[in-house]
Amino acid sequence: MRSRPAIAATLALGGCSGAQTPLAPVADQAGSQYHLLLLMLWVCGVMYLLVIGFLIIGLWRARGRHAAAPPPLLEPADDRLRRLLAVWAAVVVIGLLVLAGGSFLVERSLALAQANESLRIRVTAHQYWWRIAYRDPASGRWVETANELHLPVARTARIELGSADVIHSFWVPNISGKMDVIPGRANAIDLTPRRLGWFRGQCAEFCGPQHAHMGFDVKVETSAAFDAWLAAQARPAAAPRDAEQARGMEVVTREQCAMCHTVRGTAAIGRNGPDLTHIGSRHSIAAGTLTMTRAHLQGWIAQPQAIKPGTMMPTVTLSPADANAAAAYLESLK
Amino acid sequence: MIAERKRHRTTIPFDGRARAASVAAILLVTVAACTKESRTIGPEQPQTPPNGPADPRTRYFEGNAYQVSQGGRYFTWYGCGSCHGDNAAGTLDLAVDLRQRPLRFDQLYSAIARGHVHIGIDYGSKIPTEQLWQISAYVASLPRLKPERRHREDLDEAGEPRGVTWSGPVR
Repeated sequence: MRSRPAIAATLALGGCSGAQTPLAPVADQAGSQYHLLLLMLWVCGVMYLLVIGFLIIGLWRARGRHAAAPPPLLEPADDRLRRLLAVWAAVVVIGLLVLAGGSFLVERSLALAQANESLRIRVTAHQYWWRIAYRDPASGRWVETANELHLPVARTARIELGSADVIHSFWVPNISGKMDVIPGRANAIDLTPRRLGWFRGQCAEFCGPQHAHMGFDVKVETSAAFDAWLAAQARPAAAPRDAEQARGMEVVTREQCAMCHTVRGTAAIGRNGPDLTHIGSRHSIAAGTLTMTRAHLQGWIAQPQAIKPGTMMPTVTLSPADANAAAAYLESLK
Repeated sequence: MIAERKRHRTTIPFDGRARAASVAAILLVTVAACTKESRTIGPEQPQTPPNGPADPRTRYFEGNAYQVSQGGRYFTWYGCGSCHGDNAAGTLDLAVDLRQRPLRFDQLYSAIARGHVHIGIDYGSKIPTEQLWQISAYVASLPRLKPERRHREDLDEAGEPRGVTWSGPVR
């Protein structure tokens, strides 16, 4: 049983590595903030140890003297004490200046216009999901996807944030600090990732009952892989390959789904919910709530309110065969 | 100063009690207001249209602030405002029309669900049942809604999707 605290500490520290932590930065912005955190930790840690140390020394020297009458309150005539107090004040001022200076420099570097801001990405926060739009370099048109942000490595992307409803906050801890998403305001944040991999972002401002399930995946990939991905996203949806998928397409694009969802290249042109044109290629569904599998798609179509109570995705009345066909079709949309 | 305050307190003996009572009354009124939005979140919801004027679900939807405001949201999302918005006139102006020719909730529901077939849209089969209940509750509330209040609700929803031509939130 003595190992219990050790296990707890290991688990807590285990949370520090991974796809959603500011303690393992993989981008310039998160890196400079991480260094600022370390600076604050060192300055404040040293000051804390000094204060506690002096307190212990004072208590040690005063032991046994508590019975004596309190000393008269007079200005210290002690020259040595006065000099020590001046040194102490100087230490405090220098510590504060180091912190203020470090914070100023980091803030400045974050706000600085980057030389390579050619990549603009529009991110719109909706109650419990993220609309993400890229400009297709071939046609110049905006190409929409949802809940999955792709970033080319070693290139600065400017994320233009907008909110459709309430205040949200955009946060990918491994890549950058938070940026609030305010209705009616244009906020922007620069991201310059340096390491390849999958990371996770999360809404960081309470926005309603499903705030906790408002996540998104971030994939940092090579420039070539990014270009190929964007070109694939810009293409219209794949045609159904068998009878079941064809029935699924009929259900998705002609019935209730099409009121809110778009499948480019079909009759579904709704704008209220996430674009489904390439949903089969995504890592997860329902804003990071479920991994992308056929079974999860089917469950999500059948009972969204059971999986994510309060989501804006309504329960639609579909026959089991139609729900099955819709899931088969959506899964095929790679 | 302290003496003055003490004297003041003795002249009004029920000061403290009266204050506590008024605070309790305000809290009670505030908490009671929460029931206006009460709802169960989860899979249970209406799966069928109103079954007549006496459907017990009608009272809940009409009297619930959350259901009415969600209805307003879907009214915007589905582009209803493009015909029934601020510039609507005649029978398209729902507030005025419903004041002149009131409809029961179930009649209103079927007017929305089946009354748009002549313009080529069958909302009854396109919009999920729960949302049709909410939209009906919102439309039913329009004749009672003051224009300023409706205008403010429109401003609140300024960034939300509206119809298929929506291009993004207000920035």
